[in-house]
Amino acid sequence: MSVHPYNPKNVAGKLAKVFINNPLTLVLGVFILVIGYISLVSMPRQENPQMVVSGSNIIVALPGASAKEVERVIVKPLERKIKEVKGVEYIYGRALKNVGIVTASFYIGQPQEISNLKIYNEIMQNMDILPKGAMYPIIKPLNINTVIPIVTIAFFNKNKHHSQTYLYDKVTHFQNIINALPNVAVTHIKGGHKHQFNIKVNLHKLSAYNISLGQIVKSVQSLAYDVPKIKNQTKNKKIVIFGIKNAVDSIKDIQNIIVAKYGGSPIYLKQIASVSNGYNYQNFRSAQISIRGKNGKFDPLKNQVTLTVSKLKGTNAVIIANQIKKTLSRYKTMLNKEGISYLITRNYGKRANSAVNELVKHLIISIIIIAVLLIFILGWRESLIVTFTVPAIFSITLFVAYLTHQSMNRITLFAFLLSLGLLVDAAIIVIENIHRHFHSIDLHHHSEVDLMIEAADEIGAPTNIATFAIILTMIPMLFVGHMMGQFMAPIPENVPIALIASLFVAYIFIPYLALRILKKPKHKQEHK
Amino acid sequence: MFKKFEHAIRAGIVNAKTRWLILAFTLIAFIASVAMIPTGLVRVKMLPEKDSNTFNIYIKLPAGSSIYQTKRVSTCVYNVAKQNKYVQNIELYSGMGSPLDFAGLIKGSQFQNSENYAQLVINLTNKHKRDTPSFTIVHNMRPLVHGKCDNIIKNTNIAFVQPPSGPPVLDSVVAEIYGNNAKGIRHLASSVKNIFRHTKGLVDISTMEQKIYKQYGIKINTDKAQLSGISVKQINNILYLAFKGKIVAVKNSNKYNYQIPLFMVLSNQTKPFNNQSLHAVTSKLSSLSLMNSKGMMVPLISLITIKPVDSDPMILSKNLKQMTNVMASTDMVSQIYPLMKARDKILKQLSGRYHITKTGLFNLRLVSKQTGKIYNLKWGGEMKVTLQTFEQLGTAFIAALILIFLLMVVYYKSYKLSSIVLLGSFLSFPGVVFGHFVMNLFTTDTFFLTATSLIGFIALIGISSRNSLLLIDFTRSLMKEKAMKKADAIAFATVTRAKPIFLTAVAIILASTLLASDPVFGGLGVALIFGTIAAVIASLMVVPILLYMIDLKTLFNCHYKKVVSIEDPDFD
Repeated sequence: MSVHPYNPKNVAGKLAKVFINNPLTLVLGVFILVIGYISLVSMPRQENPQMVVSGSNIIVALPGASAKEVERVIVKPLERKIKEVKGVEYIYGRALKNVGIVTASFYIGQPQEISNLKIYNEIMQNMDILPKGAMYPIIKPLNINTVIPIVTIAFFNKNKHHSQTYLYDKVTHFQNIINALPNVAVTHIKGGHKHQFNIKVNLHKLSAYNISLGQIVKSVQSLAYDVPKIKNQTKNKKIVIFGIKNAVDSIKDIQNIIVAKYGGSPIYLKQIASVSNGYNYQNFRSAQISIRGKNGKFDPLKNQVTLTVSKLKGTNAVIIANQIKKTLSRYKTMLNKEGISYLITRNYGKRANSAVNELVKHLIISIIIIAVLLIFILGWRESLIVTFTVPAIFSITLFVAYLTHQSMNRITLFAFLLSLGLLVDAAIIVIENIHRHFHSIDLHHHSEVDLMIEAADEIGAPTNIATFAIILTMIPMLFVGHMMGQFMAPIPENVPIALIASLFVAYIFIPYLALRILKKPKHKQEHK
Repeated sequence: MFKKFEHAIRAGIVNAKTRWLILAFTLIAFIASVAMIPTGLVRVKMLPEKDSNTFNIYIKLPAGSSIYQTKRVSTCVYNVAKQNKYVQNIELYSGMGSPLDFAGLIKGSQFQNSENYAQLVINLTNKHKRDTPSFTIVHNMRPLVHGKCDNIIKNTNIAFVQPPSGPPVLDSVVAEIYGNNAKGIRHLASSVKNIFRHTKGLVDISTMEQKIYKQYGIKINTDKAQLSGISVKQINNILYLAFKGKIVAVKNSNKYNYQIPLFMVLSNQTKPFNNQSLHAVTSKLSSLSLMNSKGMMVPLISLITIKPVDSDPMILSKNLKQMTNVMASTDMVSQIYPLMKARDKILKQLSGRYHITKTGLFNLRLVSKQTGKIYNLKWGGEMKVTLQTFEQLGTAFIAALILIFLLMVVYYKSYKLSSIVLLGSFLSFPGVVFGHFVMNLFTTDTFFLTATSLIGFIALIGISSRNSLLLIDFTRSLMKEKAMKKADAIAFATVTRAKPIFLTAVAIILASTLLASDPVFGGLGVALIFGTIAAVIASLMVVPILLYMIDLKTLFNCHYKKVVSIEDPDFD
């Protein structure tokens, strides 16, 4: 045993020295693995990285104006005003007949709330530039989270007897249930028809009775009117409430509206128009679905109602999608009884989960392959040590990513796969040097602890510098702009963290584990 | 075995002939690999296509088409799509876009709210359970759909929209045509569209232009209207009410989640015109009359004149400049090559009508020979994103090199050594490019050099510089502390460092093999595998030679204070 304990010169040796005989090292190791696992499970999962796309659509209607007029009096003045807003990258103008739409799209990465506010402010301050007769501008911010649904469900009738509105009414009830689930932002219904009383006027009869359409409108409007109940007090201060019953209550009431008098006798609405309790057939939009049956043949296209669900920002799509799925299956028998089937036609939660799980699987397989390789080259003890460092490094990286509100997505895992080859490096270099020192006849008289520290210390400086060099190559990627920059951002965000973590793990845990797992070859001592 | 290796390296670096031979070979390999990109031996694409479980088909009929015409086309597309054995279910949204996705958001699917639009959502079997990737399914389905459904209604656009593997773009090839006169823009756009149509590799071609179609304009005779006590608003209202219908009142309901509207319109039997002629329109309108303020009936037809006019197409602008887009998708190819082909065609075919000058990198400026009006053609969409990304990644790469160089200068305090590290780090490039070339030979689809390959290459710079660094560091300590001779020290250091270099290289290669089969990250995998091989060769052969060629002794401050040279234990 040497008399003077080895004095480390480098941060590598110093770290090794502090932790090599410290009982807390083990606790630290376990702690790192646990927080890593917690981060892995609780990080919001997505298929692709979250992209901040800020922008707003400003829609101004000017009834009766041609596209050219709309361009001159609405689109161009609005565009000029939006040009004043800082951070706007593109301004798109669309002048159509009767309506002008201006889209302001911000540079990628501009904060959403502030950008939305900027546009709102700018338009509100400049309301006076809008021409007379223009309708109030509608400002619709493009919120990528709430605009893009993560789950869509198609509901359809199993039997054909149900009315056109049946499905819609049932789904609107269901919409409330889904909307009440935590972290669900917006639910929206596509397709389906609403209830409506249809008054279809016969043109021939109109001219025969010499009635104008305006008259019919007036008489219908005069009857279909709702007022709140009226409250009055009696002489001895008791309350009496009375109200006018809505004159239009059923289809009959509408049919019996008197439209005009013709030669002394009243003309009822039913005489000149067909009145029906139907659906809003003027809505030309429709949604249909066709599913491949068990026999491999497609069912014919049938009407459906799609319920779309989007989530709040930063929440976990996987959890929300599962909740929705569970809720649906809970109501399955009820829906079945009502003759309604459903099919989940989009599930981003599932997509994100399978993308993430697939890459995690790849990652684990790769780690195993490397471990097996190391067994052949370094021996199984060394291989075991290096293999431990990989989950530890990823745990630290994941935890940092979790703290910085990143999501778990394809690119994050891609960064991990990319760094896998790089980060076993520090571990391999340290273990290889320990191995070399262990087997060196020159150094056999040193204590095991000293050998470890010395081995770590020796390669510390070049390894640090080399790792730093790799980090430097990654950093400039942070400055790639536009959507592609945001898309790739998890790489420069995570690889440097993983590399720094790899250094610490290599210096702290490898000597610690090596001391306990590796055996110093005895024959060399005997040889001396 | 290590001994042999060491001697071989020592012999290699000492012999001037082999030195120059190796260096010359390296230089040739480097130049050859760079040359493979412009010659098209290795093809470049921003991001490859990815296999997904769903895709959309956008159908756009010419403006003014009815929902029934749209349904005829969409049913045709549906019938073709359901023939494919991988299709599980199909959703058809008529008169509106399908539930929005990221690609749809960029493509403006949320604005497709009129009778001439329809979208189909095609859901496929899970990708793990099928052997054909979704892009191949689209590739096979596309010609069938176009062949059967394009000509049901003339000028129908049918486009296949797949979930993008990266950030979405408007389309693969987008020609933005700027100008200040609508007619000229329209004319040029249709010429460009025609050229796109005849360019191989471009599919699903469309313009943002709305087709001009016949309409009837109603002019109100204001004198007559005023004299008969009818306001213009009244006339507008009655026409709208009669033919489009209007909600005239609502009824509150405790049964439904909304108020029930009372909707009024002419009946289905009496509403339709007999045909599209002016006569039919006039005769229908003549049966409508209005009541004036005095309660007298005034026939509508007496107050108006009807004239056929052209429709009023949408006017588009971008950044305050009037423009239109001509768009095309690519079919299993990178957009760069068909775009360049189309550009050449524009230069050739339109030179009769326009004076064409090149602006920027690929953009064009066209001046009409007839009118002297100026038009600008700029490439947007994927081309713009590709150029931006490669430009920025290129800048990032150069910045990385400079940073590494500075770091080395700080560490070694020598420009020469730092230059060697830098040179060494470049040498993975031939590996990356040759790797892609080899992969392309073995895969059925084109194997593209993508942005992910570039990221792999940037990571390789770090790996190579680390290898060189460890080598130099060890040589330095051997020369300084053990006073070894230059050639011996370099050879010994190379052999000693070879083991960890090999180890990490094999680790990287093995970790990347799974990546290489991924359609999106394949480029990165291949770049890492072949780049690492090249980097190892560079570190073990080229860097030692370069090291030998500079004066290490003075650089490392070796003063040979110790007279006795200490032989390494392995040397005896």
